[in-house]
Amino acid sequence: MNWTLFQPELYYFMVVMVFLTVSMLNSVSVKTNYYTALISAVIGVAVCTMSLRVNGTLFYNTYRVDLYSQLFKLMLAVGMFLVISVCNKLKSVDDSRHPEFYLLVATATLAMMMLTSAVHLLTIYICLELSSYSLYILVFLRKDQETGVNTALKYFLTGASASAVMLFGFALVYGKFPSIYLADLVESIPRFIDQPSVSIGMLLMLCGFFFKLGVFPFHFWLPDTYEGSANETTTFIATVSKVAAIAIMIRMVALIGGNSVYLIKVLIGISVITMTLGNLCAIAQQDLKRLLAYSSIAHAGYVLLGILCMSPNGYTGAVFYAVTILLLKFTCFMVVISISKKGESPSVDQLAGLHRRSPLLALALMLALFGLAGIPPTIGFSGKLLIFTAAMNNGYFLLVFIAMVNVVISLYYYLLVLKAAYLKEPVDDIQPLHVPFPQKVLTTALIITIVTIGIFPTYLIDLADAAVKYLM
Amino acid sequence: MTIHSIIFYLLSSVVIVSTGIAVTRRDLVHAVVYLIFTFFGTAMIFYLLGAPLLAALEVIIYAGAIMVLFLFIIMMIRTEPSTAPLIPPGQWWPVIGFCLLYITAGFLFMYQEPDFWVFLTPAMATPGAFGRFLFQTHWLSIEIISLLLLIAVIGALVLGKPAGKKPNKTNGNRI
Repeated sequence: MNWTLFQPELYYFMVVMVFLTVSMLNSVSVKTNYYTALISAVIGVAVCTMSLRVNGTLFYNTYRVDLYSQLFKLMLAVGMFLVISVCNKLKSVDDSRHPEFYLLVATATLAMMMLTSAVHLLTIYICLELSSYSLYILVFLRKDQETGVNTALKYFLTGASASAVMLFGFALVYGKFPSIYLADLVESIPRFIDQPSVSIGMLLMLCGFFFKLGVFPFHFWLPDTYEGSANETTTFIATVSKVAAIAIMIRMVALIGGNSVYLIKVLIGISVITMTLGNLCAIAQQDLKRLLAYSSIAHAGYVLLGILCMSPNGYTGAVFYAVTILLLKFTCFMVVISISKKGESPSVDQLAGLHRRSPLLALALMLALFGLAGIPPTIGFSGKLLIFTAAMNNGYFLLVFIAMVNVVISLYYYLLVLKAAYLKEPVDDIQPLHVPFPQKVLTTALIITIVTIGIFPTYLIDLADAAVKYLM
Repeated sequence: MTIHSIIFYLLSSVVIVSTGIAVTRRDLVHAVVYLIFTFFGTAMIFYLLGAPLLAALEVIIYAGAIMVLFLFIIMMIRTEPSTAPLIPPGQWWPVIGFCLLYITAGFLFMYQEPDFWVFLTPAMATPGAFGRFLFQTHWLSIEIISLLLLIAVIGALVLGKPAGKKPNKTNGNRI
């Protein structure tokens, strides 16, 4: 067996073990914890970059390493680095719980990395469970015990029911086909796709991933979890776990093969409901994290629109959109963490006067929100353009029209947030926000990345294109 | 219809009915006892399908150990049976909707699926073969499960012990 293929996972497993040890020690300071986590995340990004171009299968063909999985692993590693980089205060988690926090972040990342590579239904299910359980406990770690317990329990119950539904779908598909290696399923499923056992099985199977992504019938947990968990945990859920969900969704939908009659209609319906519901609910939100949660739901709808095209272009768009969500949502949440004084969830009004308190953060927030709305010189525009063109090529004109209407609706509440940040006068304190130097560098880098990829997206599109080729 | 199929349908109806009763009981002790029936029924189904090891594990671990633990916990925390309605009035629509959805799916299976009416034939997976298959082909999954258990232990510790209270070293009595 070629262990070099398994490098990123082994590395992250090592990180898990390091934090397991640290959590058992008594006298490790908050700073040491933070820097250990940060350094290990940086090395993790390097390890994932090095193994970007490796190729092969492992563990009796249950695990495939190719450009598709490695690209997503790199995204996950970058996501984990970004999340850890804003954990320098970690105000809403008790100091004695910091090693556990980093440990769970590392396990969740590890599980999601394995999820992108798993090509056997059993392995996929177990990886998904590992990542979900890490997230449940992460949500619970909030200092304010009552909120933490409530939120974590709600999240856990929704997650457990979604995973039961998914398991039922697995069982139906397993009953129909003798082998549940994705490599075999990709050949046998398209031939039987219009039989009830296969189409219902596939749909129920997708439900588990719908839950992760926050798609319509399984979106209830999202606003509550975002609001109720620590800001840093929310950042992790909104960025890294969404990337993993998109990765596995594309892999599963690619199994259907593109000639299904019923399933595609269901997916279209779900996508339309998801984006409309997300955008309409977001308008009414006063809490910034809840607003971002509903915008996450809307974005899940857009991603689904790209995925349901079931064409290489659509998948490329979805992969590109994963990068978009990672960068833009992270930038928004970085601002959320910065303006929250004691780790509470800030309201939209709390942004008042941000352009004077910290012009850099205000600029970053503006670009990120423009990106989420899909306004040109940002990465968000390229992502939406790719997805909408793919849908147009497939002849879903009405669907693209509905999505465009949704984009206009979303512009309204993004601009409300911007209005609060730029035009509203703060009520009491106007002392400048203290932004440490490393965070300034990070923010500048994010701004540059968001704009640069927005103007020159070709390299990333080519990479996504090459990655998607491994799915077929 | 083979004798296997008849036993299978009998057992499955026992499982479904007892699970239904377990879910609707308001007294937790009753619910747990009905759940034990469910696990016994599942174990029998496993045995019928030719997986004696799983059947034994189901009885020993689930019906035996875990349910007894549940009973202990329920008796220790002494919960009163709740008097609130099982399904609050506002939640009837989603319940009915989901039931209809699943019933439709069930009928689709019965009438649209070409090889729906197959009969159960005896099969056998010896514990040795089963174990070899699991630990050889799927050992990655086994390892991931071990990580999952680790996370579960950490979760239980975090849930059980309030944060910020470290054991006081100075007051510790040395014996």
